[in-house]
Amino acid sequence: MPRRPTSPTDAFDAERSALAKWIVAAMRAADLGDTEFNELALAVFRHQLRWNGAYARYVQSLGGEHVDHWTQIPAVSTDVFKWESLPLVCGSPEAARFRFRTSGTTGEARGTHYFHSLDVYDASIEFAWKKLGLPHLPLYSVTLAPADWPESSLGHMVGVLLRMLPEGGGCFIEKDGRLRADALRASLQVLSPDQPVLVLGTALAFLNWFEQMDADSDSSLTLPSGSVVMETGGYKGSGRVLEKPELYRLFERHLGVSADRIINEYSMTELSSQFYTEGTGRPHRGPSWARARVVNPETRSEVEIGERGYVEVVDLANVDSVLAIQTRDLAIRSERGGFELIGRDPGALPRGCSRAADELMRNAQ
Amino acid sequence: MKEASSITTRDRAEALAAALRGFPHAMGSELTADNIMEWVRVELGHAEILDGFRPRGPILSKANPPRTILHVVAGNTPNAALQSLTLGVLSGSHNLLKLPSAAPAVSEAVQSFLAALPASLSQSVECAVELPDAWFLSAGAVIVYGSDETVAHFRGRLRSWQKFIAHGHRLSFAIIFDAAISGLAAAAARDVSLFDQQGCLSPHTIYVAENEGGGARAFAGQIAVAMKEFNEHTPRLPIDAGAAQEIQHLRSSYAFRAANDSRVDLWQSEKSTDWTVIYEEEPQFAVSCLNRLVFVKPLPPLESLPEHLRLVRPHLSSVAIAPCSESHARLLMSLGVSRICAVGQSQMPTPFWHQDGQASLATLVDWIDLEGIKSEFRCSTKA
Repeated sequence: MPRRPTSPTDAFDAERSALAKWIVAAMRAADLGDTEFNELALAVFRHQLRWNGAYARYVQSLGGEHVDHWTQIPAVSTDVFKWESLPLVCGSPEAARFRFRTSGTTGEARGTHYFHSLDVYDASIEFAWKKLGLPHLPLYSVTLAPADWPESSLGHMVGVLLRMLPEGGGCFIEKDGRLRADALRASLQVLSPDQPVLVLGTALAFLNWFEQMDADSDSSLTLPSGSVVMETGGYKGSGRVLEKPELYRLFERHLGVSADRIINEYSMTELSSQFYTEGTGRPHRGPSWARARVVNPETRSEVEIGERGYVEVVDLANVDSVLAIQTRDLAIRSERGGFELIGRDPGALPRGCSRAADELMRNAQ
Repeated sequence: MKEASSITTRDRAEALAAALRGFPHAMGSELTADNIMEWVRVELGHAEILDGFRPRGPILSKANPPRTILHVVAGNTPNAALQSLTLGVLSGSHNLLKLPSAAPAVSEAVQSFLAALPASLSQSVECAVELPDAWFLSAGAVIVYGSDETVAHFRGRLRSWQKFIAHGHRLSFAIIFDAAISGLAAAAARDVSLFDQQGCLSPHTIYVAENEGGGARAFAGQIAVAMKEFNEHTPRLPIDAGAAQEIQHLRSSYAFRAANDSRVDLWQSEKSTDWTVIYEEEPQFAVSCLNRLVFVKPLPPLESLPEHLRLVRPHLSSVAIAPCSESHARLLMSLGVSRICAVGQSQMPTPFWHQDGQASLATLVDWIDLEGIKSEFRCSTKA
């Protein structure tokens, strides 16, 4: 007979554990239908109302406690993760054993995403990989090793993938940020043409790698046939942004990989699930437990298919914080829950007389 | 039609005053030919000193404008373009105007302004969206409005003989010393709402002294009502999805804080992003994401204000104050602002304004001096 919870902490642990098991079981089973997703989303929402005091007060201030559909769950902006005085976590932040932090640029506050356990987080990566048919290939990661990058959600994902995918490869950025370009090239050059691999990295890491290749003339590679590149976007703080077709031409030139073999991963520290798209001009899609809505920025209602707005995500795997997240990313709504990103963090784009406010703040540091 | 060489400063002032009647906010209110002439007199020492030699101390002098001025204007508001052109046309220079690429409002305003000038003056202005290479080299003076990068770009191309006047990023704010003054909320709302905060004179943060006349939180509520009323008679111009999303993102963040922190409050338009007022006790200068979003904060002790403005100090432009008195202004001399005005007048500087702390005409002209001439000559040159 199970032990009865005797304290608030026990009650929280028991409720969290039961909810996590329910979510992971749903991830393992067939794709979640609308009804099951709604039922689970409302269960996670109620759990968060009960245990996440800051979120509960926010929902109460909006008069939004009475929710009967997941689309009505009040979303919080990613900026809220930056306020250290208001940790966005169910239960006690001190009891949260894991945390991921946003990278942040100079002068910018860093966001923190707390977790009591990474059980649901890891399950989301693994089951999404399988259900979305992502490549089961050895991983060559143009990133730091997970152990050198303990507060990075991307670093953690790389760790999960290294355990999950066939052996071989590894991580090729040193702790000091230096790319081990020679080792990476040597590892890839010894592969036989029938040994396809997965090469993963941020767009910025790939750009740096390609620039080193250009400096060292004739060092371009041709990855084995069937290889796949996964880029995670990300130019943060570099002041550089390339249009996707231009970036993908660089992949073709330097790695011999055509656009249809390039996957873009869209996620963020504030989420626990990922969305993916292949090639250019195709919508991102996520697993059935993470649903994106494209929302009109004036009215905050969902736009029609083909219209633009910003992305809000309801991610069941965000079990320890808040499941409904308002991003800064603009997108066009596609059919069947997909979205086509048209710009990450448009707030970074300058406008107006005092337009580069962020930038001038940075320069003044 | 007059020959260009026979057009006097007075002719140009009258034509400009007439043309600017259609743009009441471009150069401040009540712009007449007489006060344009007075502006020239104040800056150059004599109202007709651009037309010929005039007495200047013990000698005679003539102000020579650059033969050609290149104006590079930003897309945020048409006012900078009109101000810059007014300066160039008044000085008698030939003017090359590089228009922003995606700002139809600026192009339309410039075309309307030129259409309102007599042909003899409008012919002195050429416009282009793409900057022809030859333009830069032909300019004796280059006036640039834009981002720090734009300013740096043009500064880097300058030849040693070219004058350069740059107007980069600027931020403005307001200080209410006495919130009980009648009509103050409406005046502050006008300062924030005009031009949708696209200009450098738009307040981002309003500091309000806590005293018997009221406090910052109460004033924030009052300015919210006034911004709503302003929006009813002067709706904000449409904004793109990215700008609207920035407002929503900021609103969501502050709504979350307001629900958890009694030192934060939020007022906003319903089902739109038309206007937003954020009350926050944190005294750090807050930079708005523009389009009628303003922060209201309690005024910290004045001796600590420079520290709260430290990050934006190099970019400060105006501070609007209430009451507007010299004694209050004297308290603010060390903040780094270049203009102090009354709340409600932020957006209406006079032509006498030293934009970014610089004289405009005086910076632009060169001088020819004539020495050793007897006073009869002086009399004979008098207009």
